[in-house]
Amino acid sequence: MRKRRDPRAEQAARLLPGGPRPRYGLKVVATETDRPRRNPRAERKAATVSESPRLRIAWKGGVAPQAGTLDAPASRGAPKVRIIAEPAFHVLVIAGAGEIDRQMIGAARLIADAGGGAVCIASSTEAEDWADAGADRLMPLSGLEVGTYDPEAHAAAVLAAIASLKPAHVLFPETPGGGDIARRVAARLGERLFAGVEDIRDGRAIRRANGGRDAMSVAVPRLLSIAAGAFARHEGAPHEARRIEGPGFEPVRKGIMQAKAMPVDPDSIALAEADFLLSGGNGVSDWDAFAELAVLLGATRGGSRVVCDQGHLPRDRQVGASGTLVTAGCYFALGISGAPQHLQGIQRVGRVVAVNTDLHAAMIKRADLAIVADAQEVMPALIRLLAQRKDTAE
Amino acid sequence: MRIAVLLSLGLHPASGRARRAELDAKALELALRLAETVPDAELHAVHAGDPDAGALRDYLGMGLDRLHVLDVAQGADPVPALNRHLNEIRPDLVLTGMRAEAGEGSGMVPYLVAEALEASLVADVAGISDLADEATVIQALPRGRRRQVRLRLPAVLPFNAAAPEPRAPAFARARRGIIERHRAESVPDDFLEACENTLWRARPKRMGLPAGATAAERMKAMTEARAGEGQVMVHPTPDEAAAALYDYLVEHRFLDLQAREPTANGQK
Ligand SMILES: Cc1cc2nc3c(=O)[nH]c(=O)nc-3n(C[C@H](O)[C@H](O)[C@H](O)COP(=O)(O)OP(=O)(O)OC[C@H]3O[C@@H](n4cnc5c(N)ncnc54)[C@H](O)[C@@H]3O)c2cc1C
Ligand SMILES: Nc1ncnc2c1ncn2[C@@H]1O[C@H](COP(=O)(O)O)[C@@H](O)[C@H]1O
Repeated sequence: MRKRRDPRAEQAARLLPGGPRPRYGLKVVATETDRPRRNPRAERKAATVSESPRLRIAWKGGVAPQAGTLDAPASRGAPKVRIIAEPAFHVLVIAGAGEIDRQMIGAARLIADAGGGAVCIASSTEAEDWADAGADRLMPLSGLEVGTYDPEAHAAAVLAAIASLKPAHVLFPETPGGGDIARRVAARLGERLFAGVEDIRDGRAIRRANGGRDAMSVAVPRLLSIAAGAFARHEGAPHEARRIEGPGFEPVRKGIMQAKAMPVDPDSIALAEADFLLSGGNGVSDWDAFAELAVLLGATRGGSRVVCDQGHLPRDRQVGASGTLVTAGCYFALGISGAPQHLQGIQRVGRVVAVNTDLHAAMIKRADLAIVADAQEVMPALIRLLAQRKDTAE
Repeated sequence: MRIAVLLSLGLHPASGRARRAELDAKALELALRLAETVPDAELHAVHAGDPDAGALRDYLGMGLDRLHVLDVAQGADPVPALNRHLNEIRPDLVLTGMRAEAGEGSGMVPYLVAEALEASLVADVAGISDLADEATVIQALPRGRRRQVRLRLPAVLPFNAAAPEPRAPAFARARRGIIERHRAESVPDDFLEACENTLWRARPKRMGLPAGATAAERMKAMTEARAGEGQVMVHPTPDEAAAALYDYLVEHRFLDLQAREPTANGQK
């Protein structure tokens, strides 16, 4: 292998003596250092991470994970399940309902992974995939009637779960129902509840106090409740979610004797709060049928800006960028074209049902169920059907 | 019937000045209404804290004749003093707010009081529809729904923001009302002392992003309006359309023709 040349030494050897300024001769002087000559092609090859779909070269080493590798995860097969067989402690998560459960497990993983603990979820429903969510254990809370309001029994079940598992930390959801259970349990145990935790960093839990002005932090306490939307869900490998024995619990002294849902006037619900919205646009001309349909569906009424401008609906019923950003579970749009300002308002709704005469309307594209038909004909047909079903139900 | 109201000092969210706490004022509003309508109702308003706080007069201005103030030192736990005081009065009904505006604001006070009084409790109360040997209250649920709950007395009822608006305080009544001081022991709050308080600063947070795809796809998933499932019916007869709509709404449980519990957060 050839040695590396030394250009500085070569130049110094060509220097002609004498004269006021340095002059160099043309004689070629071969010099050699001890180091071998570089091979740029080999270096480039070594630094090349991938050639297709596009060339990537990491000159400085430290190859970043490549987002676009489509084949890699699939070829590795199913992701490996992480098992924590002998945990140092348990973090018990009391499942509430919906999205916040996963966020709570995300928060619980932060606490557990900092000290070799395991996350146990206590749930009264079966349906979820807790392994994927990141739970190590699953404790079924049996004996609770699903769908009935009985916070006293629920709190008793949670107390029994705490007594049987003896967790180092218990996480509750800071939702109306979950926060109620959390406080009942804390009051019964005579322990402090660190309510509405928004962050866990460096082993400290952080919540807001003093009307939201202050951040109050303390070493992660035993009982804490987690604010909705504060933590990211667990993204890594699935955990085993092994079933463990649920606790039995004593029936409790009942203060609450009866609870039932009350009918409410849907139009008295604020637009941003409503769960089921019937929304009308410029394609609706029969506003009496629209009102009748809303009553039969039990839906809150809303509309596009055009109908509010025309006075068919009051201004506070306008959906959209300059109206209300709605969060309904179901959005039923009649004769709305789906202008960008309107679609912005319904970004966070669950399902969209649309009726429009124009197959190419943006609302038809956005909809989960789209019907290309005249709203003035569909409305009476649906009213007839609803009235008929209501009669047979009674 | 003895009705106690727990009143704490509020904090204006914008200016940070002391004021009457909004939710506690709603509880007092309901207590004042009950005092007018329920025969032999006896109203007893309590605050644990500094008797010289000026904002307490706002409660008196709402039509309260007398406010009992348990002189608890700043930073001490108000619960032991409240419990001792309430145990002497033995109220049938304790009305409070769901959360205090100033201080820790953890919403534990009503639950601790209920535990000490062995009273029943229903959270998020928006109104009281019936009161006799037992109480029937209206509970506010998310998404504007309501639930009617019948419970035994004695009961602690923490009020939610959905309760009726409180009346405005009148200056003359605020001057005339009496603040009655009670000596009370101050139990230092060790837990709060162990906590560290700094100014709250919102930090950016990385929530669950759509992972795995290319950067362009992730960007699209986060910014673009979502496309639907795309079930399309073109020019059906009105009856076909109505049947399809009805089936879809029933399938996704938006239409039970009966009372339904609200969905958790409206999102899929
Ligand atoms: C700054 C700014 C802010 C705005 N903010 C908002 C906002 O917050 N909210 C908002 O809604 N708009 C807003 N707009 C207005 C928006 O751009 C649209 O003009 C508006 O949303 C259109 O309303 P529309 O869909 O009801 O009416 P059109 O656009 O007139 O659409 C009517 C639709 O009904 C269909 N149709 C017609 N006849 C029938 C029939 N018989 N049966 C069924 N379908 C039929 C048509 O095919 C059409 O798609 C804003 C505009 C601006 C410039
Ligand atoms: N110092 C206090 N004096 C009287 N009532 C209080 C006091 N602190 C809290 N409360 C009551 O308890 C409710 C909940 O307070 P907290 O548990 O501090 O969030 C408040 O809305 C008040 O009704």
